[in-house]
Amino acid sequence: MILRFEGVSYRYPGAKPWALNGLDLTIRPGESVLIAGASGSGKSTLCRACIGLVPHFHHGEWIGKVFVDGLDTTQHPVYELFRHAGLVFQNTDAQLFNQTVESELTYGLESLGLPHDEIEQRLEWASKLAELGDLMDRPPHFLSGGEKQRVALGSILALRPRLLLLDEPFTHLDPQGTDDLRRILKMMKAEGMALVLVEHRLHEIIQEVDRIIVLHQGKIAAEGSPDQVLAQEISDYGLNLPPLVRLFHEMGLKGRPLSVEDAIKELKDQNLLTPFSARLLEDAKKTSISKLPGTSPLVAEAEDICFSYRGLPVLQNIHFKLLRGESVALVGRNGAGKTTLIKHLNGLLRPHSGRLKILGQETQRRPVSELSSHVGFVWQNPNDQLFQPTVREEVLTGPKALGSYDSSWCEELFNRFGLASLLDRSPFTLSEGQKKRVSFAAALAVKPELIVLDEPTAGQDELFRKELAKFISELQREERTVMLVTHDLEFAAEHANRWLVLADGRMIADGPPVAVMADSKAMARAGLRPTQRYQLIQALKGMKEDKA
Amino acid sequence: MRPSVFDPRSKLVMVFVAAILLMIFHRWTSLTASLAILMMMVLLLHLSLPWVNFLKGIGFACFTFFIIGWLAFDLLTAVVSTLRLLAIGTVFFLFFQTTPPEVLSNALLKMGVPYSFAFVLSASMQFVPVLFRRLGNIRDAQRARGIPIEGGLSLLIHLPALAGPLLIQAFKFADEMAEAMEARGFGMPGRRFRHEPRFRRIDWMAVVISFVILVMAFWNPYR
Repeated sequence: MILRFEGVSYRYPGAKPWALNGLDLTIRPGESVLIAGASGSGKSTLCRACIGLVPHFHHGEWIGKVFVDGLDTTQHPVYELFRHAGLVFQNTDAQLFNQTVESELTYGLESLGLPHDEIEQRLEWASKLAELGDLMDRPPHFLSGGEKQRVALGSILALRPRLLLLDEPFTHLDPQGTDDLRRILKMMKAEGMALVLVEHRLHEIIQEVDRIIVLHQGKIAAEGSPDQVLAQEISDYGLNLPPLVRLFHEMGLKGRPLSVEDAIKELKDQNLLTPFSARLLEDAKKTSISKLPGTSPLVAEAEDICFSYRGLPVLQNIHFKLLRGESVALVGRNGAGKTTLIKHLNGLLRPHSGRLKILGQETQRRPVSELSSHVGFVWQNPNDQLFQPTVREEVLTGPKALGSYDSSWCEELFNRFGLASLLDRSPFTLSEGQKKRVSFAAALAVKPELIVLDEPTAGQDELFRKELAKFISELQREERTVMLVTHDLEFAAEHANRWLVLADGRMIADGPPVAVMADSKAMARAGLRPTQRYQLIQALKGMKEDKA
Repeated sequence: MRPSVFDPRSKLVMVFVAAILLMIFHRWTSLTASLAILMMMVLLLHLSLPWVNFLKGIGFACFTFFIIGWLAFDLLTAVVSTLRLLAIGTVFFLFFQTTPPEVLSNALLKMGVPYSFAFVLSASMQFVPVLFRRLGNIRDAQRARGIPIEGGLSLLIHLPALAGPLLIQAFKFADEMAEAMEARGFGMPGRRFRHEPRFRRIDWMAVVISFVILVMAFWNPYR
C-alpha cells in the first residue's frame, strides 16, 4: 500500500466540526483515485494529511494513523515525507516562491541534498515532462494560469514521489490546459505513480481514474469504480456529475455513459435509440427557439474596440451588442482578452480606439463610479472586495457610495441570497460559498442593468452551481442582462442563450451556443471543445441521416 | 536581470565601501563625479530604463530632502545632501539589479546567516509583485461597485477598502506559501545548492581595491 488511513479524525484548532471523521482508506501503488465531494467535505484536509501537513503544520486535534509509503506521518516530519508524497496545491501562486521556473523545479531537489548530476538529470526529466522547456528562465508569477499549473506540477514531479496528490488542478485551466494536464497525468500513471486527484468536475478526469471516493462531512459516503459510484445515490453530495450521466438521469434512462460512444451503445442496448433521439432533437429545437433574443432594447454596444497593453494588441476591432434580458457567455482560452474586454464595460479600462456605449451613452468620458450603477461585477475572488465589519454594510457599500440605496430591494436581496441570518456577522468569518453570495448581493444592490459574472463556477461545487443557475434565471426574469465569463462550456451551454467567442483578442464568433459549436473552425481557433450533449446530438443526427 | 562577474559577497563589500565613501564626501564636485561614474555604470549595464523607473520612486524623497536642506541650512547643503541620497540610492539600485535574490541568499548562507533568514529575504522579494497584482485586482473590484478610488487623495480616503482585503489576503497568502515551502523540504537539514557561490581572484581584487580607495579617501582632505 502506498497510502493507508486508519481511523483518522482531525479538526483544525478552534474548529468544532471534524474535517476528517473516522476515515479508513487504502491506495495501492500505481492506482489513480478521484476524491470528490462538496466544498468543506474534507478533500483538501485529506490531501494535507497525506504529506503530514496535517497535523504537523496545522496542529489541531488528531486521532488515528496515516501511513505513506510505510511511514507513519505522525512520527515523521514533513521534510521526511515530501519525497514519498508530493502535493500540488490549489493556489499555484502561493506554491511558486522562487525567482525562476528553473529554481522552482530544483528547490525540492536541493532540499533533498541530491548530488549535482542527479539534480541536473531530474531537472531535465521534469521540465520535459511538464513541457517547461521554453519557460525555464522566466519568473513564475508572470506566467499564464496553465503554465503556472505545469510549473507547480513539474516542481513536485522532479521529486519523483510515489504518490502524487493534486488539489483541484483543473479549476483555472482552459480546455487546452486541461488536455495538457490530463496527458501528463496519464504518463505519470504509466510510470507507476499513484495519483490522488481532488475535483468537483468529475467529467474532467473520471475516465482516467480507477476509483472514486466521495467524501461527505469528513467521512467516506461512497467508494468504488466510477461506474459503481455513479450507480449509487450521490446527488446529495454536491458533485458535478458527468454531463451525459446527468442527461440520462434527467430523461429517466438507465445507464451511466461517460462518452458519446458509451451513450449510443447504451441506447442501442436498451433499444431506445429512436425515441431518445427524437426527444433530444425536439428538446434542442425548442431550446434554440425559446432562447432566441427578441427585439429587446440595447444595453451595451461595442463598435470596433481596440486596446493595447505595452504596445501589444490585446483587443482588436471588437464588435458586439448586449440586449436587455439576455444571458451571454464570453468564452475563449486563457489570455484571449476576456478580462480586458469586461473591464471596458464599466470604464476600468478605456478603448484606445472605437466606441463602447452603455444604455446608449458613450463610456469614454464617464467615470467608473457612474458606470458602476449600470454595470455590476461579481469577481471570481470575493475576497477582493470584503472589508466592512458586517455583511449588511458590505452589501450596502455600493448603494451608499452611489446614493442609490433602496431598502426594500436590499431586503429582497438578503432573502434571495440567504443572507438574512448572516447580516451582523463579519464577512471574513463566512465560508467561501457564503462570501460569493455576499458579493452577488453587493453587485446587485445598486440595481445594475448589466451584471458580469467572472468565472462564477470556478472551484464551486454542484450545490453552488444549482444556486447560480437559479440566480441567473431570476436576473433574466427581472430583465437584467447577464454576461458570464467562463471556461465551463457545459454551464455556459445550459445558462447562456448566446456565446461570444474571443481568440487572440478578436471576436471570432457570436451566436447561439449550438451555432457557435457547429462552427468547428472558430471552436478550434479558440481552443474550445463542444459540450458532450451537443456531440451526442450531432452523432444522433448523423446516424439519422445515414439511415435516411 | 544582468548577470554579474562578481560574487555577491565581494559586491556587498563594494556596496558598503561605496556607501561609506559617499557619506564622507562633503563637496558637491566629488559627489557629482561619483554620480557621473555610477551613471556610466548604469549605461554600460543597459539599465537606463529601470533607473528612470527607480528615479520616479526616489524622486519625491530627493525633492523633499532638497527643500528641507535648503530651508534648514543653505542651498549648498541641500545640493550636497540630495546628490548623496541619489548616489547612495543608485549604488543599491545597481547591486539589486545585478544580484538575483537567490544568489544573494546563497551568499548570505555562506557568510553564516541562518537559512530561514536568508530564504525569507529572497521569498519576500517574490511576495511584493504578487501583492501589487492583488492590490490592482482589489482596486478594480472596489471601483467596480462605485467606490471612487481614482488616485491621489481618494486613495487615502478609501484606504480601508484597499488595505482591508489586501491585509487579509497577504496573511492568507503567507500562510499558504509557508505550507507549500514546508511541503518541499524547507528547513530540511543537509540542503545542497545547485549553484554554490565561488569567491574567485577577481573578488579578492575587488575587495582589496575597495579598501585601498576607502583608506585613500579618508586621508584625502579634498574629498
